[in-house]
Amino acid sequence: MATPLQSFSREFGYVLLEHKGEGKFVLRSEPPSWFNELWGATQPGEALIPLAEKSPFLENFLVEAQSCWNSPQTAECRSEVWIESTAAGREVPMQTTALRRDGKQLLVLHSPEAQYRDQVQILQTARSAVLEHEKLLREIQKKEILLHCIIHDLSQPLSAMRGSFDCLSAESLSEEGRKFMALGKMATQQQESMIRQIIQVFAADLQATTDAEKGANHAPDLLACARNAITWLSPAFAAKRVNLILDPQIDQQAHWHVQGEESRLGRVFTNLLENALRYSSEGGNVTVGLQTDGEFRKAFVADEGPGLPPDLRPAQMFALFSKGKEGGGKAGFGLYFCRTTVERWGGSITCASLPEIGSRFCFRLPKATVRAEGEAPPDKLLSAVADPRPAVKGRRAMRILFADDQEDIRTLITYQLERSGHHVHAVCNGREALSALLHKHFDVILLDEEMPAMGGVQAAHTIRENEARAGSHAFLIALTGNSAEDDQARLRREGFDAVLGKPFRLEGLAAILDAASSTLPLTSVPKKPAAAIPAGIDDLLGRIGGDKKLLNKMIRTFLRDTPKRIASLQKALQRKDAEEIASLAHALKGSVSIFLAQHARDRAQELEDLGHKSELGGATAVYATLKEEIAKLEENLRGYAKHTQAQPRSTVSKKTQRLTGKRKKQ
Amino acid sequence: MLQKKICMLGAFAVGKTSLVRRYVESIYSDAYHTTVGVKISKKVVQANNSEVNLVLWDLYGEDDFQKMNWKHLQGAFGYLLVADGTRPATLDKALALEQKARAEVGPLPFVFVVNKCDLVNDWQFDAALEAQLVAKKWTILRSSAKTGESVEEAFSQLTGKMLG
Repeated sequence: MATPLQSFSREFGYVLLEHKGEGKFVLRSEPPSWFNELWGATQPGEALIPLAEKSPFLENFLVEAQSCWNSPQTAECRSEVWIESTAAGREVPMQTTALRRDGKQLLVLHSPEAQYRDQVQILQTARSAVLEHEKLLREIQKKEILLHCIIHDLSQPLSAMRGSFDCLSAESLSEEGRKFMALGKMATQQQESMIRQIIQVFAADLQATTDAEKGANHAPDLLACARNAITWLSPAFAAKRVNLILDPQIDQQAHWHVQGEESRLGRVFTNLLENALRYSSEGGNVTVGLQTDGEFRKAFVADEGPGLPPDLRPAQMFALFSKGKEGGGKAGFGLYFCRTTVERWGGSITCASLPEIGSRFCFRLPKATVRAEGEAPPDKLLSAVADPRPAVKGRRAMRILFADDQEDIRTLITYQLERSGHHVHAVCNGREALSALLHKHFDVILLDEEMPAMGGVQAAHTIRENEARAGSHAFLIALTGNSAEDDQARLRREGFDAVLGKPFRLEGLAAILDAASSTLPLTSVPKKPAAAIPAGIDDLLGRIGGDKKLLNKMIRTFLRDTPKRIASLQKALQRKDAEEIASLAHALKGSVSIFLAQHARDRAQELEDLGHKSELGGATAVYATLKEEIAKLEENLRGYAKHTQAQPRSTVSKKTQRLTGKRKKQ
Repeated sequence: MLQKKICMLGAFAVGKTSLVRRYVESIYSDAYHTTVGVKISKKVVQANNSEVNLVLWDLYGEDDFQKMNWKHLQGAFGYLLVADGTRPATLDKALALEQKARAEVGPLPFVFVVNKCDLVNDWQFDAALEAQLVAKKWTILRSSAKTGESVEEAFSQLTGKMLG
C-alpha cells in the first residue's frame, strides 16, 4: 500500500530512489508511468534496480552524485537534462538530483516534459533565426558579387564610347553635331561616374571586414582625412562660390587617430561634403568639424542649405538608393556608403536639421591606439616576429633579461624586442639569468617557466629574495605553456608580475611591456640618444662625393644586415664558437667603421681579438656593450634617413619626375 | 563485450544528431531540430575481430544560448568533432572545442568531420586550413549525413583509433 507521500511523488512525476552501491537502487516511492516505460514496471520495496547499467547518462552522473553523497558540505547536485528513449521510441526528457538525507544516498528522478518543450521551442526559434540570418548574409554576398561583375562588365564599353567621342571631336562637325557630341560625352561621363560609385559601394561591402582590420593597424588620422577632403573638393566649392571651412575650434593637438582605413574614411568625408555642396547656395558656408567624445572621435559636416525633409527619418537618409534630401542626389549610394562604412568600423552616423537653417551630418568612430608605422599589427602571431620592420618609436627603451631554452624563440623575441628599441640580454635558463643579474641591472625579466638547469619559478624565487635584501623590484614576466586561469594565479603567487601564455601574440607581450614601462621610475630607464645626424656623416658624405642616394643605400644596407649579424654573433657566443665570433666581429667592425662609430668599432675589435685568442670569458660582456653601441648608431642612422626622406619634393629634379612619370597629371 | 563512449562535439546545427541517426538508424531528415540536453544512442560494431558497443553521446551544440558541460566527456574514449563545411564560423568553433577538450580531458582520439559536403555550391572549407590540420596529423573527413557519405567511415576510423 502506497503512502500519501509516495502517491504524491508519482502524481507530480517524481520518483525517489535510494542508492545501494555499485549503481544499484531501490525504489522509495511509487514510480510514474514513464519510469515503468523506460525501465520496467516495479513497486517500492527492496528489489535492486541496476539503473547505472540501464542508463549510461546516470552511470556518468553517479560519479558526481557520489562526491555529493560523500561530502557533508554539498547538500545536493543536479544533472542537466538528458533524453531517454522508451522501447517504443518515445523520447523522455529526464533530470535528476542527488541528495543525502538521514545518511541515505538518494536520487530524485523526474521528467520535466513541459519545461523541456518550452526550452526546445525557444532554442529552436533562436537558432533557426541565426541560421536564417547567416543564410541571408550568404545570399546577399552572392548577389553583391554578381552585381559587381555585371557593373564591371557594363563599364567596359564606356571606354570605347569615350574614345569615339574624342575622335569625333577632331572631326569638322556642324554646330548641331558638336552639340550632340558634347551631350553624348557628358552622358558617358555621368554614367561612368555612377558606375564607379556603385562599384565602390559594393566593393566596400564585400571587403569591409578585412579593411576594418587593416584600418585598425593603420589608424587613419581623422583630422588629416578631413583636411585632404577639403583640399580635394575646394575647386568644386569655389566654382559654386560656397565657402568650405575647417572648424577653427578643432583641437589640433588632440589624438585624432580612429578605427578605419584612410581612403574609405576620405570617401566618407567627400561624400558628405558633396552632399552638402549639392544643397548649398552661393555665398553659403559648409563647415567640417571634429570633436572628442570619450573613446570615440566625432566628425561633422554642417551646411546652410534647406535642411532635411521633415517627412524623412534620419535612418532613411542613409538607406540604399536613398537620394538624400528631396531626391536631389545621384545614384543614392553616397550616404549608404557612409553608413555601412562607419558602422563596420564600430561607429555610427546620423543627421539632423539645424535649428535655424541647414543640416548637420555627424559620424563617430572608435578612437584607435596609435601605433607607429611599421609596428607589428595586433593580430600577428609569434610567427611574425622575424618580419623585418622598422623599430617602434616613442616607446620607452628598457633593459630586458630574457631566459628561454628554445633557441628559435630566444632569437626571434630578442630580434623583435631589439627592433622595438629595447636592450635585450638573452640566456638559456634560470641559472644563466641569475648569473647575468650579478653583473647588470634589468628593468624587465622575462622567464620561461620550464627550462633545463633552472626553471623560471625557481629563478623568480631567488630574484625576489635578492630584491628583498636590496630593496629593488624588477618586473617579472612568466612565459608558460600552462596558461589556464589557475596557472596564471599560481605564477603570480610565485612572484611574477605578469604571465604570458604560449603561444603568445606579440601585442600581448608589447602590452605587458608597456605596463612594465609605466611601473618603472623614470630614472631607471636608459635614455636612448636623440636621433641626431651623427657627426661622422658629413665626413662620410664628403668621402663619397656628396652622393646622398648612395649614403642612404649604405644606411639601408647597414640597418638591414646588422641585426642579422648581431643575432648570429649571439648564437656564436652561445655555441662558444670562437672562430665564428672573430669572423662576425670582424664583419661588424667593418660595417660600423664605415660610419666612423669609433666606440662600436673598438668593441668589435675587442671581441674579434677575444675570438682569435679563444678567450671567451669576457666575450659576453663585450658583446653586450657592442650591441648597445650599435643600437645607438642604428638609431642615429634611422634619424638621418628619416631626415633626408623628409626633404621637400623640390629636391627631386623635374627631369626625374618626368622620367619616373610621378608628376600629377594636370 | 567492449564498450566505448564516443561524444559528438561541434557548434549548433552542424549535423551531429543527423550523423548519429544516419549511422545508428540509417535515417535522415532535412528538417532542423535543435538538441537540448544529451541524447545517447548505442550501436554494436565489429572491430579488430571483436564486438564493440559504441555508446554515442550526442551533446547539444555550443552557442550563445548553451555552453558545453565538459563533465559529459568523462569516461569518453574518443569524440567526433563536427563542423558544417558551409558555415566557416563552425569550423572556428570546432577548432576551439578541440583545444578546450584537450585542456579538459587530455588528448583523446578524435576524427574531424566536415559535414554537409552535399551542399557543393555553398562549400567553404578552406583548403589551406585543411592542409594545416592535416599537417597536425588530424584525420579529416568530408561527410554528408544526407547522402551518407563518409558517415560509416568516420565512426569506423574513430573506433579504430580508440582501439589503438
